[in-house]
Amino acid sequence: MDAIALENVTKSYDSVTAVSGVNLQVREGAILGLLGPNGAGKTTTIRMVMNILVPDEGSIRVLGLPVTDKTRESIGYLPEERGLYPRMHVRDLIVFLGALRGLSEAEAGRRAGEWLERFGLGDWSDKKVADLSKGMQQKVQFITAIIHQPPLIILDEPFSGLDPVNAGVVKDIMLEMRDRGATIVLSTHRMEQVEKLCDSICLIDHGHNVLDGELRAIKQSYGKNTVHFEFTGPDGFLDHPSIATVNRFASGVEAKLQQGADPQQILKAAVNSGAQITRFELLEPSLNDIFIEKTHHA
Amino acid sequence: MRKIWLVFKREYLTRVKTKGFVIGTLLVPVLGIASVALFAFVASQGSKAKFRIAIVDNVGGLGESIAQELDAPAKANKPQFTVTQSIEQPSSSTAAEEDLRAEVNSRALDAYLVIPASLDQPVELHTRNPSNFRVIAPITAAVNEALIEARLNARGIHVKDLSDVTRGAELQVIKVSAGGEAVEKGQTIGVAIGLVILLYMSLLMYGIITMRSVLEEKTTRTMEVLISSVQPFQLLTGKILGVAGVAFTQFLIWVASLGLLLPYGAVMAAMFNPGSSFPAIHIPLSLLISAVFFFFGGYFLYSAMFAAIGAACSNEQDAAQLQWLAMGPLVFTMMIYWTVLSDPSSRASVVLSEIPWFSSILMPLRISIQPPPIWQVVLSVVLLILAILGVIYFSAKIYRIGVLMYGKRPTLPELVRWVRYS
Repeated sequence: MDAIALENVTKSYDSVTAVSGVNLQVREGAILGLLGPNGAGKTTTIRMVMNILVPDEGSIRVLGLPVTDKTRESIGYLPEERGLYPRMHVRDLIVFLGALRGLSEAEAGRRAGEWLERFGLGDWSDKKVADLSKGMQQKVQFITAIIHQPPLIILDEPFSGLDPVNAGVVKDIMLEMRDRGATIVLSTHRMEQVEKLCDSICLIDHGHNVLDGELRAIKQSYGKNTVHFEFTGPDGFLDHPSIATVNRFASGVEAKLQQGADPQQILKAAVNSGAQITRFELLEPSLNDIFIEKTHHA
Repeated sequence: MRKIWLVFKREYLTRVKTKGFVIGTLLVPVLGIASVALFAFVASQGSKAKFRIAIVDNVGGLGESIAQELDAPAKANKPQFTVTQSIEQPSSSTAAEEDLRAEVNSRALDAYLVIPASLDQPVELHTRNPSNFRVIAPITAAVNEALIEARLNARGIHVKDLSDVTRGAELQVIKVSAGGEAVEKGQTIGVAIGLVILLYMSLLMYGIITMRSVLEEKTTRTMEVLISSVQPFQLLTGKILGVAGVAFTQFLIWVASLGLLLPYGAVMAAMFNPGSSFPAIHIPLSLLISAVFFFFGGYFLYSAMFAAIGAACSNEQDAAQLQWLAMGPLVFTMMIYWTVLSDPSSRASVVLSEIPWFSSILMPLRISIQPPPIWQVVLSVVLLILAILGVIYFSAKIYRIGVLMYGKRPTLPELVRWVRYS
């Protein structure tokens, strides 16, 4: 059974079509990266899954059931537009939101204490939300999204505002939840996190899904068409006709090859040009490159 | 239902627990009593010091009778005068005035009165404080009385006879109601106006609190977190009920403290100012119940509108502009309530008090002055309830769309489209 199944879903506002004929299946127990440029229709899609918006056409099923107010109690949702009541005490707030998501207040209070400890916020539970730093608020928001241990979790930019240590804690918890059988949808613009965390991706652009499937399979389908060079000396060989685009970094250069080009030819050209090659590696394209290629319409 | 309860509980508790609520709730009765006591104190102090006045009479004969008038023991609450000297036909008026002016400036005297040789000229009152109306009125009266007396005497008419002949009867107004009769000393109109102001202020205040509360959820971006687990309608209902609960708590505390403090205030006032009679204010239970009912009816009507406005806007400035949509009918009520006050059973009064947006203030006003026929009250209640349901229905639609809209303030046609669209 799919955790989420969208079938030919369309949604328009006044004159703008935000989502048009999107099909998407999220396998249970997987982490899916929901990608797309700003304004592509990701938030609208998520809001329809959350029953905040109603699709004009198509059907949405969550954990096998058509979307209702009941289905969203099995979803943990961290929206991108998120905030907390600034004048409420941290624990009271978590209990309030936990109770709204179906927990009893006693149970919500117990879990709030555990999670606050885990995030190192134990001393802050009786402080006002406004007294917390932005990163701390971010952690509280994450707690409110998962406190009812939902089988499906939708996180919109969960790492924004977190330092590397806390981002690590959030990442660990996500993997823990996945191992316990939860399905996670991760919407983000940070491709390196998607590469590290996600099993599959769905790329939306202009309201259509342009690419979806297992991340590994997608990358393999592109083949090893990228060369990573590290070298000293002249770089004239980068003008070689087999090289399509060049991306320069501090440590080296990433060159994307033309379709059907032979990487050995370029290595030969480089050696002949007098460059001292210290590293030469054939790579699958990065998700970043795939994203840009798929959404670049110029 | 459980979610409405949770939203209600949060709204109520976070508001009641704030310092602002505690201070506001306690301060209002304390300030009210303090101002009554202060007023009574000031009123009683004002009449203690005697107002020293001298008279320069260039006609002759008038000064003496003015002095008699002013020197007479003053009635309660009126200033007491003492005439230090009365100069009849001085050889040099200017020289006499010169001396008196010096006395006024050295504060040995408070004022002096100059009666010109010809009464075609104005009588002059020279004083340091020309805006002291408390003394100007009795002095004018004394001068006129002396003048009239002098003229009548010149024609051979005795003043005593004339005042006996022209004395009118006193008219005492007695309010007739089902409960019996009560002497009217302005308490009916006082209660009525007090009621109108209280209802207006409360409707406005709690309506704006509701609007701010919705707006806060938008500006702090808590809204999407909330409506991913609560329906907008549940959120709206819970919030309006929560603020209503706060209002109810506040009223209860005020009424209780008024019950305790009003006798105290009356005693204080009587102690400082024994002459004043405090008309017994009797508020019938039926008026109290209808006022509370119409307040909450009006509150639901207006707060639903205020909440929709809060949901449609993204910041305080935009909301301040749009809130006139909801404030308009309230302000209009304040401009027309006088019509109802002066003639509560006129056709205009009856019609206005049936219209839901006005009835929450005007119907309790009518009940307080002159209980209207029962069918008119029932009709107004029914219309109010229908209007509440209608407004909540439309507000919920605007609310549902507005809560996720950020950016530019919607125009009126856009709001209409939101209602049609959802």
